[in-house]
Amino acid sequence: MPLAEAIANPYQPSLVRIHDFSDETPDVRTLRLQFVDDNEAGGFAGWEPGQFGQFTVFGAGESVFALANAPWRPNGDQKSVPTIECTFRMVGKVTSALRAMSKGQVIGFRGPYGNHFPVEDWKGKDLVFIGGGIGMAALRSAMLDVINRKSEYGDILILNGARSVGDMVYTDEMPGWQEVDGVKVVRTVDPGGETESWDGEVGLLPNVFEGLGLDPENRIVIACGPPIMLHYLFLSLGKVGYSPDQVVTTLENKMKCGIGHCGRCYVGPFSVCRDGPVVTWAELNELPKDY
Amino acid sequence: MTRVTDSSWKLTDAQLRAWLSGLLDGNSVVAPVEEDGVLLFRPIASAHQAVIKPSGKTRWSPKEFLFPRSEALYRYSFKGGTVQLEDPPVPEKHQVLFGVRSCDASGLVRLDEIFLSGTTDRLYSARRENTTVVSTACAAADQECFCTAVGYSPVGEEGSDVQLVPMDEGWLLRVLTDKGRDLVGDSAEGWKAATAKDGKRLPELEKKVSKQIERSPVNREWSKVLEEGFEHGAWDRLAQHCLGCSVCAYVCPSCSCFDMNHEANAWCGEQCRSWDACTFPLFTHHASGHNPRETKQERYRQRVLHKFAFREEDDEPFRCVGCGRCVALCPAGLDIVNTVAAAVEAIREEGADAAR
Amino acid sequence: MTEANVTAAQSGTGSVPENWQPHIVALVCNWCSYAGADMAGTTRLEYPANVRMVRFPCTGRMSPLMILRAFEQGADGVLVSGCHPGDCHYVQGNLVARRRFTIFRSLMDFIGIDLKRLHFAWVSAAEGHKWAKVVSEVTASVQEAGPLPSFDHPEGWDGIDLPEMAGSGPQELDEDQLNAIRDNLRKAASEVLTGGRAGSVIGYGPGSLANQTIPLFITEAADCEKLEWGQGCRNNLSTYVGSALDKHERVAVVAKTCDLGAISGLIREGQLRREQLVVIGVQCPGVRDGPGLATKCLSCSGDPHPICDLVVTVDGVRESCEDPSAAALDTPDARDEQIAYLETLPHDERWKYWQRQFGRCLRCYACRAACPLCYCSTCITDKHRPQWVPTSIDHPGNSTWNIIRAVHLAGRCSGCDECARVCPADIRLDLINRKLSLEVERQYGKIGLDPEKKSALVDFRMEDSEEFIL
Repeated sequence: MPLAEAIANPYQPSLVRIHDFSDETPDVRTLRLQFVDDNEAGGFAGWEPGQFGQFTVFGAGESVFALANAPWRPNGDQKSVPTIECTFRMVGKVTSALRAMSKGQVIGFRGPYGNHFPVEDWKGKDLVFIGGGIGMAALRSAMLDVINRKSEYGDILILNGARSVGDMVYTDEMPGWQEVDGVKVVRTVDPGGETESWDGEVGLLPNVFEGLGLDPENRIVIACGPPIMLHYLFLSLGKVGYSPDQVVTTLENKMKCGIGHCGRCYVGPFSVCRDGPVVTWAELNELPKDY
Repeated sequence: MTRVTDSSWKLTDAQLRAWLSGLLDGNSVVAPVEEDGVLLFRPIASAHQAVIKPSGKTRWSPKEFLFPRSEALYRYSFKGGTVQLEDPPVPEKHQVLFGVRSCDASGLVRLDEIFLSGTTDRLYSARRENTTVVSTACAAADQECFCTAVGYSPVGEEGSDVQLVPMDEGWLLRVLTDKGRDLVGDSAEGWKAATAKDGKRLPELEKKVSKQIERSPVNREWSKVLEEGFEHGAWDRLAQHCLGCSVCAYVCPSCSCFDMNHEANAWCGEQCRSWDACTFPLFTHHASGHNPRETKQERYRQRVLHKFAFREEDDEPFRCVGCGRCVALCPAGLDIVNTVAAAVEAIREEGADAAR
Repeated sequence: MTEANVTAAQSGTGSVPENWQPHIVALVCNWCSYAGADMAGTTRLEYPANVRMVRFPCTGRMSPLMILRAFEQGADGVLVSGCHPGDCHYVQGNLVARRRFTIFRSLMDFIGIDLKRLHFAWVSAAEGHKWAKVVSEVTASVQEAGPLPSFDHPEGWDGIDLPEMAGSGPQELDEDQLNAIRDNLRKAASEVLTGGRAGSVIGYGPGSLANQTIPLFITEAADCEKLEWGQGCRNNLSTYVGSALDKHERVAVVAKTCDLGAISGLIREGQLRREQLVVIGVQCPGVRDGPGLATKCLSCSGDPHPICDLVVTVDGVRESCEDPSAAALDTPDARDEQIAYLETLPHDERWKYWQRQFGRCLRCYACRAACPLCYCSTCITDKHRPQWVPTSIDHPGNSTWNIIRAVHLAGRCSGCDECARVCPADIRLDLINRKLSLEVERQYGKIGLDPEKKSALVDFRMEDSEEFIL
């Protein structure tokens, strides 16, 4: 049947090999993956920060992770190999199976799916990235992208909060980020989560943010983290004078198909995998509280 | 879909059976059959197996012939340190869904709006291309039917390629699309051409069946009211007796949610898609433990609003086609139309923010 | 799978290829049977190599689900082997297992699995010779039975006609009598609330279709006027008692006599306490199922049972509350004749009957949702580490689901038939559950409505029968 032959199977993944990994915490790992087939690698080149993928552990299942590395911007260097980085926490069947895998093993990848952070619209503005816990993974690709092109952006502040020092992710990379002129990293742990040698802030993220006293003028806030953190953060942002259009976040929901068909990730009429996951606070206010 | 209303004939029962018999040659024909007292769509081997009546729905819709209860999305095997992937074959034999009620035919179009929009689903699209729908208009409503109350019709043409209309004697056969015309082919030789008078049967039936359906229409403006009243306390009491099964979703002609799981062993496996429902507690349960719809009332609210609200454009039809099966088969007797009316009344009377 | 086995499986019930060899899975306990098998090996005993062993800590850990999984994955036969009664490493694991296996075996027989495929044995660590002998016998037995019939829709099968079920049902109540009962019920419910006897009444209210009611949760006495009574009062309202008790200290529930078994079961299993309930028994005209009465009503008198707190009849309301240990609930069941008929059929006819039924299953889990005794916070089907019950909605997965649910209810099922009523596919779940009830009664006696008595499958006696165990 001619029509069907022309349609690709949207569910068949590409094969990617585990090239390398690093453990952020005892239960959080960042994987660096490379395509097994070079042709598929070429097809993957055009993704944007904020998008996600469905990662398959053959025999166990699929799981959604944000694409965490800086997007591959064509720079004339034909030799650079598109890689995929993702950060995941071991929490269930698939992530436990993934955690048990070693370098060289093959998993599946479907994507990129979803919309993306409007990084082009942010040019010339001051940016505040607020990441709570593993929420940093959803921000990392955007953070690295703008840091790589810092001259096109204003001041960049990265505010990272976690329950405790042991829960912090990307700690090895942060000194490197701060080396770029105009990029500042502020870290905080919840009260009780500090160690003796801790030299960062102690306090809940929304409080620490308020304490920084940043002027909303010409500033965009991009926040990702647990729902409860976002709830209080938005209250703080409102208090300090940010308008809902200046605040960007990502919606997280249980996803299976990744293409808006299975019905699982809907928030009202909004399909997180198809219409999101990136939303502004203004758009979020239009949606029912079903997330 | 091309409307070809000048291709209409009047057939006797015997002629209809003969045509059905002829269709078995070269097509897989799916029609209502009786099995252990249950009227269901099944592939038939001979025309006399099919139960074709002027009215009366099957126990559940024929959607499983476009959207199977379970199917492999792709297969894989572990070989030599890597994985080999394989696409399942697309269904090739042409399929005729025969005796599909108007509501069920509309339900298939609601499914098209999911599976054929955005990214096209390969397996669904192949099946859809290879399927011709012969629908039957209804001469009477079942006790639970309410299609006319939600903007549908017992003589509706949506989703149908060939429409059979029950007459006092025999059937009016109307070709509605090119696919339908292809299906009829040469069989029309020997059939009596229909007259304008025969065509009057359609509005007649519509009027008659509408009268039988004793339900107040669901007003299209209510979608907005339901959305505004999302947090209203009425939802708590309206779905208190819901048991959290998924009969409603599975018998529904337009429900299409599914789950994806790997069924595998040490050598090979497949990614298998199966029907799922938003009424189940684990539907939106995150691995972190968070569940946006923790209570069954929240899940039931989602189902109602998905059917009657959350439309992108105001002129889009309700996703509920009014077959009434959920009302007839709900173990706890929940009635979706009554729920909608009661919720709207409560939201209007008490204000959208009235607490639980 | 070997070529021959694949061919045999694909050809269905056709001829068995010459070189076909049965695949047999053995579930063996670590301490006795596994050691016994090891001894057979070290003493160089020869026996057929068709058996693949899976080692368990104890037969007590062997759920019928695992036996089903072996069949569903392609085994032609299953052997279960453990320590002799009295020798269990965990003291009583095999004693509890023995009852479980007895019941499960009768169910497998009922649904059409030839018992030549399913064997149980006690083999001790010293019994290497016995192990070899058992495996030889089991292999020969499964060889005789042939390849396992496929889990599939029986094409071109005309079905069977079950005998009509006989019984006149409860005494007929005319409209005036029903209205009188209804008015008495409304009064009783209202007084329960105003008297502070309970914080909520769960009863039946008007539904939207003819002869249909919906469960109603009443907290205001004035709302008792909404209570209905008649042939549409089908739900077993005890399903709702648990969640109602989250909000109220005491709850009143309107109960037909067929609903009481579930209430006793919930009390027996510690899900609620008797003092938390006010049971309002009502004289019942029987419940409607299609054009006639439901099967369960055919042999019921409809009289409210004296173990209820309040008894509502045409004549009025009276206090009751008889001691449940004295309560007899001895009604013959109209389904027994249909069960007996099925048991006269050869296994392949039974298999086709049940495969056709299970093939219709949609896995909507209405049976589970409506059953008052299915209250597990996470059902076995929802557990995915590992995924015991296949997620795919097809014959093998559906068969596993329906069988394991019946097994989980064995000895506990109250016969309220809600599962069969709510099933949109009209699967005769009532027959399966009744068959298991009969088997439990036959082997281990009845426990009736007394919540103090232990249900059969959580109990054991040293002298429990084991005539089928090798």
